[in-house]
Amino acid sequence: MDAEKIKSALADVTDEQDPTLKSAKLASLCSALWAERGVELVVVGGSAIEILTEGAYASGDLDMCHANKATLSVDERKEIMGLLAAKGGPRNWQVAGMYLDLLGPVESFSHTPFRRIEAPYGSFLVMKPEDLLVERVLMTFYLGESQTARDCAKKLVAMMLDGIIPVNWDEVRRLANLPEYRNLPQCIKLVKEVADELKIKSPLHPD
Amino acid sequence: MNSKSKVPCIPIEGSINWEDWLKGRRYRRELGNRVAPEIIRRKTSSSDRRLKKLFNGERGLPFTPTEKL
Repeated sequence: MDAEKIKSALADVTDEQDPTLKSAKLASLCSALWAERGVELVVVGGSAIEILTEGAYASGDLDMCHANKATLSVDERKEIMGLLAAKGGPRNWQVAGMYLDLLGPVESFSHTPFRRIEAPYGSFLVMKPEDLLVERVLMTFYLGESQTARDCAKKLVAMMLDGIIPVNWDEVRRLANLPEYRNLPQCIKLVKEVADELKIKSPLHPD
Repeated sequence: MNSKSKVPCIPIEGSINWEDWLKGRRYRRELGNRVAPEIIRRKTSSSDRRLKKLFNGERGLPFTPTEKL
């Protein structure tokens, strides 16, 4: 990406006042710049759920991970993020009026692909909703019940059940049975709850 | 495309283009609102200090109201 295009993209992201659009545009811009050096980035966690659900959940930081094995030296990171006038580093930056946290290699158990959005400065990857759901259900119950994590999981389930975010339900079931999660009963219960609210059948429910 | 609406889905394979993703924003927000409160941003987190400093005491920019999506 040439300097003029970077300058114009940075101005656009900086001026953007819608938090979800701002995150998506920043993910697009950073993904493009890092991809030029061989590193594929992916939006993870609450930032990914926000982009998938429009759930009014995320705060003013964008969480991303490496989706491939490549990584960059501290100097290379400084150089790339310097193009965006970012402050801080080498893993957290204040950039374009928000924060970017680069959390290291992505942890994903699903065999489905990362989702991809073609955005103004290049396409970017979003964490697999199968992983996001099982993780969010874990967070709902792990340290006593968290209402925010529960609401977040419910919104994600609503998108999945509706079909606006197609998912592989067999994968959800498989992940929830992994030792890392072991939360299939909670997943089934939550999906059933949302399905009942939407008056549709739960794909995880036996009858 | 979702079978029940005219809103493009975020597919498992391939990609969704920007215009289609934008087109689905309101539908996704309204669908989520049927099962949970509209705004569910956490009240606190370990990032509070830096967030509140940048966003004038808030944890992020205000969300665009559903009717304006």
